Amino acid sequence: MRTLPLLLALLIAAPAAAVIRVDINSGTAQPLPVAVPAFATASAVATEAGTTAALGQQVAGVIAADLASSGLFRPLDPAAFTTTVAPADVTAPQFAAWRTIAAQALITGNVTANPDGGITVGCYAYDVFSAEELARQGFVTTAANWRRAAHKCADLVYSRLTGETGYFDSRIVYVSETGPKTRRIKRLAVMDQDGAGHRFLTNGQTLVLTPRFAPNQQTLTYMSFANNRPRIWVYTIGSGRQEAVGDFPNMSFAPRFSPDGGTLVFSMSQNGTTDIYKLDIASRRLARLTNGPGINTAPSYSPDGSKIVFESDRSGGQQIYTMNADGSGQTRISFGEGRAGTPVWSPRGDLIAFTRLGGGKFRIGVIRPDGGGERLLTNAFQDEGPTWSPNGRVILFFRTAAGRGGKVDLHSVDLSGANERQIKTPLDASDPAWSPLLP
Amino acid sequence: MTERQSLGVVGLAHLVLFAVLSLALTSVTPPLPPEDPAPVDVVDIAEVPKIAEPPRPSKRAAPQKTVEATAPEPTPPTPKPEPAPTPDPTPVPKAEKPKPKVEPVEKPEPPKPEKQKPEKPKPEKAKPAPKLLDAEALSTLLDKSLPKAKVKPLDTSALAKSIEKSLPRTTRIDPRATATLIGAIRSQVAPCWNPPIGGADVKKMTVLLHLDINRDGSVVGRPGIVSQTGVTAGNADYARAFAETARRAVLRCAPLKLPAELYDQWKAVEINFDPSEMS
Repeated sequence: MRTLPLLLALLIAAPAAAVIRVDINSGTAQPLPVAVPAFATASAVATEAGTTAALGQQVAGVIAADLASSGLFRPLDPAAFTTTVAPADVTAPQFAAWRTIAAQALITGNVTANPDGGITVGCYAYDVFSAEELARQGFVTTAANWRRAAHKCADLVYSRLTGETGYFDSRIVYVSETGPKTRRIKRLAVMDQDGAGHRFLTNGQTLVLTPRFAPNQQTLTYMSFANNRPRIWVYTIGSGRQEAVGDFPNMSFAPRFSPDGGTLVFSMSQNGTTDIYKLDIASRRLARLTNGPGINTAPSYSPDGSKIVFESDRSGGQQIYTMNADGSGQTRISFGEGRAGTPVWSPRGDLIAFTRLGGGKFRIGVIRPDGGGERLLTNAFQDEGPTWSPNGRVILFFRTAAGRGGKVDLHSVDLSGANERQIKTPLDASDPAWSPLLP
Repeated sequence: MTERQSLGVVGLAHLVLFAVLSLALTSVTPPLPPEDPAPVDVVDIAEVPKIAEPPRPSKRAAPQKTVEATAPEPTPPTPKPEPAPTPDPTPVPKAEKPKPKVEPVEKPEPPKPEKQKPEKPKPEKAKPAPKLLDAEALSTLLDKSLPKAKVKPLDTSALAKSIEKSLPRTTRIDPRATATLIGAIRSQVAPCWNPPIGGADVKKMTVLLHLDINRDGSVVGRPGIVSQTGVTAGNADYARAFAETARRAVLRCAPLKLPAELYDQWKAVEINFDPSEMS
């Protein structure tokens, strides 16, 4: 009876494909578990910022905190580690120990003291399950700057595992507020994006608003009411020198630098209208970009410097407009219910963040430069003043709590609307601006 | 004719018409033909036949025996000339005669399932004789049959073995087993896949990995990338990160648990990762 199985086989024979193919259309979107053990050191040498062994611990802590703050990684609790990393393990880790705690990536490295008093931080990233090295880089810096080496290592890991450029080695400048709402003391303050290294830049005697970084990182521009004259100032961070921009008789405010740092664009009030002007810093030549009606303010350059997005109430209420860098082609891009203001162009050029005003709330939203794809990312009482991280992935803004004497503080949210978190500051905070990636 | 007379004629005609119609209604319905009482099979509940099991394929040439055995038996045809008047037309006692010969037959004969099982209810009949319905016997019958019925469709190993032995080795057959293999691989690898929550580009990418798998389910070396879609010059970094998440998913969830007897089908597998349907 050989014919029976043969007949059955002919009936049900599938095409003779050599390899079966499985389609997987869904996974679990969750932060990637990573292990960041303390960085090793060949011998504990004292530096001006502590011993290299202590620095190894702190560097690992800063990296883990950075990765966790992005919302895309989940650093595992060091208490669960089954092994420590010896200097020899840095270049040849024992992956089995990391597999047992289900870490998918391992970030390890070493801290070495240099003869000149500085340190070298070696940063290595490994894929635990395939046991391959993903990236390695060494950073040489002064011992006091060890945080920047840790941030750069975190940036390396972040970009290797997500494909995005990093944003951890950057700074935030903002207005620190204190005192009753009727007599607010406002000071400029600058800090690392994780809140460390905080310091005040002005003494609070004059009101300051809207500080922004120059692309070179070393200067800020902001608006100050010094001598009861609302003017734009430029502040050099290293020297602390402050210089007023232009000697305009009228109120000028909302300054921003162009991407090449050579032009300052701002608003100035004159004869009942407020218009946007640009100032060539080298030649001090002033050019007018808008010509009324109404209030035109909050200008922001596109990353390639060819266009400017701004806010205007010429239609009756604040809305968002784009124009070419020479002022031509002014087009409204925000529509729908309510008003829209404080636009900021993303460093990636693909989106504009803004504040949507309406329904009794201020909410942070993003919109494409052509006006489509508007998406609101937050939903609280009063969120405003967005600024972008250097990789165009995270938006920082300030939130005022409802009620009398409501606190004002800084919050950040991922572009997807997830991972909303507060950035802690010593006092109340408003008007944040995120610097580009530090070199 | 006078008016009175015509009225009388009309009234009489009405009455006649009324009478005719009334009587006609009663005579319109034809009489029903006398029905023969339908033969009702009376089956004792204790003898509920079990759910039929598909026959196990065997290599013995059994049917030939049946043909010879039933030929010299004239007794099965005898009940046929007397169908209706016989007070017990039940097929159950009929089947008892050819039953011993039919046992070894493996040919699938779904219309006559009772033939295979009347032996078993017979000894049980003796026990619950005083009761018509024995819930315990019923429940044991049912309990035994249900799990078997569930397992049966997936257990193609015996069938697969016999077919494989009789066919050249390179033939890929049995799509039912293939479908369950695909489901088994998918259910083991998909929970381990963390697609990158990256930019918009990543949603449009797919990657096809090729795996060689050992007998114990572990993956040989690192899965290779067969092809990747959605990659442009600008998103090469995203593409690399995306492909690595797929590789990591496979390696995290290795070794895979798959049926050993179908190893030839899953020793080389291709897995396509496509996040476009994820929110």
